[in-house]
Amino acid sequence: MTRRGAGLLALVLGAAGGADAQRPTVQWGAQAVPTLTETNIVPGDRSLGEARVLLPVAMLHAAAFGGRLRLVATVDFEKYTITHGELAPGNWGESFADRRHPHTLVHELMLVGGGPHVFVAAGKGFVPFGTDDPMSRPAVLFPVNHHLSQILERAVALAGVRVRWATLEGAVFNGDEPLSPGSWPAWDRFGDSWAVRLTLNPMPGLEAQASYAWVHSPENRPGAGPDDRKASISTRWARGRWYGEVEWARTSTADGFFVFPSMLAEGAVTLSRHRPYLRLERSDRPEEERVFASRFRTRRPLFENSILGITRWTVLTAGDALDLHRGPVRYAPFVEGAWIGIARVGGGVFDPTTFYGREHGASITVGIRLAIGMTMHRMGRYDMTPAEGSTPMHMPMDHGERSE
Amino acid sequence: MTLMRKCVPVVIGSLAAAACAGDGGKGTSPPPPPPSGIVLVDSLPIPQFYGIHDQFVRDGLAFLCAWNTGVLIYDVGNGLKGGSPAHPMLVGSVVDSGGEAHNAWWFHNPATSENRYLFVGQEGPGAIGASSSGDIHVMDVSDLTNPQEVAHFHMAGAGTHNFWMDEAHQVLYAAYYNGGVVAIDVSGTLSGDISSRMLDTVSFGAGNTYTWGVQLYSGSVYAIDMVSGLWHLNSSLGTLGSSGGGNNEAARFSSDLWVANGYAYTGTWDHFQRTGLAGSLLKIWRLNASGAPVAEDSILVSGVGAVSDVEVSADGKLLMFSTESGPNSGFWFYSLADPAHPTLLDKYLISSGVHTATFATIGGRLYAFGAENPNGAALIILDVTGLDQ
Repeated sequence: MTRRGAGLLALVLGAAGGADAQRPTVQWGAQAVPTLTETNIVPGDRSLGEARVLLPVAMLHAAAFGGRLRLVATVDFEKYTITHGELAPGNWGESFADRRHPHTLVHELMLVGGGPHVFVAAGKGFVPFGTDDPMSRPAVLFPVNHHLSQILERAVALAGVRVRWATLEGAVFNGDEPLSPGSWPAWDRFGDSWAVRLTLNPMPGLEAQASYAWVHSPENRPGAGPDDRKASISTRWARGRWYGEVEWARTSTADGFFVFPSMLAEGAVTLSRHRPYLRLERSDRPEEERVFASRFRTRRPLFENSILGITRWTVLTAGDALDLHRGPVRYAPFVEGAWIGIARVGGGVFDPTTFYGREHGASITVGIRLAIGMTMHRMGRYDMTPAEGSTPMHMPMDHGERSE
Repeated sequence: MTLMRKCVPVVIGSLAAAACAGDGGKGTSPPPPPPSGIVLVDSLPIPQFYGIHDQFVRDGLAFLCAWNTGVLIYDVGNGLKGGSPAHPMLVGSVVDSGGEAHNAWWFHNPATSENRYLFVGQEGPGAIGASSSGDIHVMDVSDLTNPQEVAHFHMAGAGTHNFWMDEAHQVLYAAYYNGGVVAIDVSGTLSGDISSRMLDTVSFGAGNTYTWGVQLYSGSVYAIDMVSGLWHLNSSLGTLGSSGGGNNEAARFSSDLWVANGYAYTGTWDHFQRTGLAGSLLKIWRLNASGAPVAEDSILVSGVGAVSDVEVSADGKLLMFSTESGPNSGFWFYSLADPAHPTLLDKYLISSGVHTATFATIGGRLYAFGAENPNGAALIILDVTGLDQ
């Protein structure tokens, strides 16, 4: 076996970490978020409450050759805990509506290699586009713009170049979205879509990015659906006690026939053990035919390319988490509320008053973040040597022990 | 006013007639169910790109509109390739320049005795009730094994849907969703952009127009509009004018139509329930002396999202409609012995739904051709001769 092969084997086998930077290291972690959510934005003019375990994930990060070769793996067990999705007004995508879809079991499995100036990555994971996955941000309920601002769970190959405080990434991937929590990308579609992202870190804590993606037929796996052109610009601050982000995103579908813009601003501050946070969002989403079996599901694959209309969701979310720990287990009870407004945009038959019985409503979520081991990384970034500004934000529970 | 049947036969299928007749008939055994008059002849898989949307059958040739796969031409009894309904044989295919092949009409021109042109509707993206896109593409099918696109019709700001052809006068009537109804001169040789051949257009008002289909019947054009219901239009060699009807279905969105026997039969589209009412309707309209539609009866089909296509057999005896999006999706067949009050004969359910259906008589037998939705997209061919009594 060659020396390189031996090193790779050691990486895969996950030799215990040590102080020697050249030796393979392994970090692991796990989390789950039991929650209870109640909302009156429900099809059929009613209220609905549900208890679910959200974001049950296990993470493994391994590194070798002084960090020049890394494995990033995240297993998401939502397939088992939210088989029918998470009650989340305004969320949409992957045949779910007003429920967040469960992520795929193999959420990330990326091999990353390179140095401080050039890096490459390949596997299943995030496309270098847009902002961090909401899973690694303060609010528990996802924003409406998840499918406008992130592209994830794809077979992706990316390369990045870093010059001083600028990083340019480019990637090719498969355009098709997952069909179910157990599905894998359509391998024969690998390379039919692409994305580029420029990230600037001009000073510690400050990050700005602009990205663009062309996604072929995301909602029709055989490729018969319309294509998306996606753009995203954001500025992020994460330093000390403060975190804040402002983003603009826009998805243009079918050569601009449909356009879905999004604006989002969010922030959080650490006050002793408290972590209050706020998010304001205005995002447009397509309204699609709901299937007979569930008013929370839409038809996949798409038949035609028509929609029922477009709705604009204005959501103000506020919450507070309390960071605690007992031994190696970190836990953060939280409460999160949202005011939700829904408006029709540009005609179409979809009428929120008919469908929900209202145009304004609210949701309330209580729960507890449970975690052990490593803290959650910034999902959506595989930079080899992130600048200080792109290090993980201070999330609830970050004060705990790490198993490095 | 729409009259709702008190006896809802569709829910109980083939026994409906007996069940209705036997209400309260305790102590008597129900009559045995009639032998099924439906025979599955073939299920022809279609590439799921996205699948099959509609079919036009004439002279033993089936033109299958298979979305981005284009138009597939099958011999189902023509003799060209030795095909039959049980063994369709591919003759040729063509992909229209925009893809999204939605519907077709093979034009038999009596003025020239040519069967040269196939009109293909492209259904582009749209927001139902508000916007639409997609052109009409004209294929030269002189060589059925090698069709070629030779012309196209574009209407700014709107997209085409279903057609009807006045072949005697070489006028194509096309529903154009938010563009209303369009009449196009299709006489002579067609080449390039034929947008200047538009003879007339009519709409039903801003926010009140999203026209699904048209049909020429007894010199009038009937148009079914998803928003404003069934319209009776005067027509004179392509000149259109509103004559009667309209604004006559407010509880649901309307879908397809067929006019026969002095009656019009229309469906409703309830993928989004306009007023929260479940199920879908097949509505029956009597045409009065002036040809205007008057609501006569309706049949509620529970457990579906739409009555997606409607047709009456050429002999006027058999009504068929397709349904999708629900457990009662499939083909439904009704006797028109009383054309004002159809009675259920039988149904053929397909869980994935049937988007469109059409009749064709081949070799003296009556067949129903239907587009099965994906997953499992297929052309379904049923022998329904037994029902057409």
